[in-house]
Amino acid sequence: MAWSSLLPELARGTATTLTVSLAGIALGLVAGLALALIRTSHIPVVASAVAAYVSVVRATPMVTLALLVFFGLPALGLGLSPLTAAILIIAINTSVFQAEIWRASLLDFPRGQLDAAHAAGMTHAVAFRRIVFPQAWRASLPALVNEATLVIKGSPAVAVIGVVDLTRVAVRATTLTYEPMRPFLSATVIYVAVVMVLIRLQRYTERRIVAKYGTL
Amino acid sequence: MLRKLIAAFCVITVAALVPSQSRAASLEEIKKRGYMVVATEDNYPPFEYIQDGQPAGLDHDLYKLLKEWAGAVQVRQEILPWQGLLAGVVSGQFDVALSAATISDQRAQQLYFTMPIAEATHYYMKRKGDTRIQAVKDLSGLTIGTQQGSSIHQRLPEVEALLQKTGGKLGRVSLYASYPEAYQDLANGRIDYVLNSVVAISDVLRKRPNEFELGQAVVPIGYHAWAVKRGNKELRDYINQFFNEQRKNGNLYRLQEKWLGRAFPDLPWEAKLPGNRPMPE
Amino acid sequence: MIANFGVVLGEWRSLMTGLVNTIWICALSGLLSLLFAVLVAQLLVSRRRAVRRVTQSGVDVLRAIPFLMLLFLIYYCLPTLGLRLSSWTCGLSALVVYNTAYFAEILRGAWAHLPREQEEAGRAHGYAGLRLYRRIILPQIFIAAGPVLGNQMITLVKNSAFLLVITIPDLTFMANQVQAIHFIPFETMLVAVALYWTICSTIEWGVRRLDRVAVVRGHE
Repeated sequence: MAWSSLLPELARGTATTLTVSLAGIALGLVAGLALALIRTSHIPVVASAVAAYVSVVRATPMVTLALLVFFGLPALGLGLSPLTAAILIIAINTSVFQAEIWRASLLDFPRGQLDAAHAAGMTHAVAFRRIVFPQAWRASLPALVNEATLVIKGSPAVAVIGVVDLTRVAVRATTLTYEPMRPFLSATVIYVAVVMVLIRLQRYTERRIVAKYGTL
Repeated sequence: MLRKLIAAFCVITVAALVPSQSRAASLEEIKKRGYMVVATEDNYPPFEYIQDGQPAGLDHDLYKLLKEWAGAVQVRQEILPWQGLLAGVVSGQFDVALSAATISDQRAQQLYFTMPIAEATHYYMKRKGDTRIQAVKDLSGLTIGTQQGSSIHQRLPEVEALLQKTGGKLGRVSLYASYPEAYQDLANGRIDYVLNSVVAISDVLRKRPNEFELGQAVVPIGYHAWAVKRGNKELRDYINQFFNEQRKNGNLYRLQEKWLGRAFPDLPWEAKLPGNRPMPE
Repeated sequence: MIANFGVVLGEWRSLMTGLVNTIWICALSGLLSLLFAVLVAQLLVSRRRAVRRVTQSGVDVLRAIPFLMLLFLIYYCLPTLGLRLSSWTCGLSALVVYNTAYFAEILRGAWAHLPREQEEAGRAHGYAGLRLYRRIILPQIFIAAGPVLGNQMITLVKNSAFLLVITIPDLTFMANQVQAIHFIPFETMLVAVALYWTICSTIEWGVRRLDRVAVVRGHE
């Protein structure tokens, strides 16, 4: 396939991959924090239910989750377009891993600081917002960026539900021209480039945090 | 661990008690709410596929005509892989499978089909110059490729019986998400023949005449048609009215010539099971 | 919905075929990956800088590629170079190549954290070369890296679901087939999810058992 027709397709596919991944990560970040807070809250039934949910989703392959959400949920009345489903799938998957990351930093959090905050008269909510969250966020940041690379590497799963992401663009180009090298090698290079950028970002973040705050 | 299992069990029990939402919208409801949702496959040339980022194919041209014809009723289209399409119609997520679905006995149990849009007799296609295969009986023991969830996939027992009659047997079966992937593996040599509707095969042969060759028919005559959920009689008749008009004004035949390479003027005026048997009531 | 679960149960043969295929291809590729990873890890800690650098670059690139891309590269691109493997061989190769890189990196990390005293004491007692490696170093690395290796094994199982796109009849492929034919997507995929959860829980249980061995042996 001529570069003139392949490049715009690759650009479109990359844009779709990045958009879906970023939207999924953003959604997953918020959901993950919520899940972590529930789990560390020890509310009887709900915390256990969340623990079970996290355990199941962590064991579910992206492709299987994609088929469950996109083909399965509509049977219960929740119809979704392929793009919305893709974002939701990525968000569901990454939220449970992000929940574990948040939970680790929340559990590791020095109790002394919380006690001091309470002694100073702060409520739980205020203490969380002003003392816990900023530090937990910094501690989690490298792991969160690492999770972002995992999201990018898992994003081709949405090709299975028809979303025209970078992988699907390559497959489509191949089945049209019967020439696989150009599309697949180009797509691979793009994926590797994006992941390498994220890895650099993660290392840079770690260095900055340690430099500025003395510790992770 | 035990608590997790109990929690999971509770969730599943509750979920199991939720009734399946499988209400498809009737024609009246569609007219009242002002729109109809149709579902089309993403990669089934020449009927429906994506070219340069745009939908193309016979079904897409028919979709444009339907939008005009339906007038005040909006027609919204979802494009998705085949494996979720008919299930979506049965569950009520989509009103019409605007797709070249093959009419089959098993599907007729859960769907009503419109009048046919093309013949769907299944032929085999082989690599050009593959002299091992001269007739259907030579397919014995060779690897077959077809689409997962397609009607030919479900009718493989018929193909097996056919081969057994001439003392042969069905070879290994490779199932693909879409036909273009099967064609590619045929070119690669991973499979020996592809079973697909003659119309789709003719399209591939036009595009890649040096790679493949047409074989013979393996099953009795069948048809491609659109589908609605079983019970949705008015919606099916509504679509049939649309097709009626497109046949009277020649649009359907014109589009068949354009996309399928030939017109099918003698198609039945209502859905028929393979072998021209009447649909069940 | 309960009726639909009944239909799924009726197709238990298809689902069992998928489950068995998933289990054995994951077990085989896991084993092969670990074996190759031991070799690659040695290259990663080699005393020769050139060897170290080349191997590390290879491992880094492999760890930056999405698994599905690697699978497609093997499945679609190798034939044009003259190497047309069957779908099973492609799937197995992709899983092995991909996970060797990850396992090697994990083993390298564990090796770096291994207290030098153990190796020196081993040498003092006359262990050298392969014997030192096999009886002193490797067991400690594996036990120390147990949980992380277990995690990667779970990732391997999840990656195996991608094999459906090259027509390998794994669990997800068979579940997709059952739901496409019977029009019962939710119930079928839920059963598939439950089966994957069972497989992964078994792996986690294995890791916990290994951990107990580690504690007995004095690791912490």
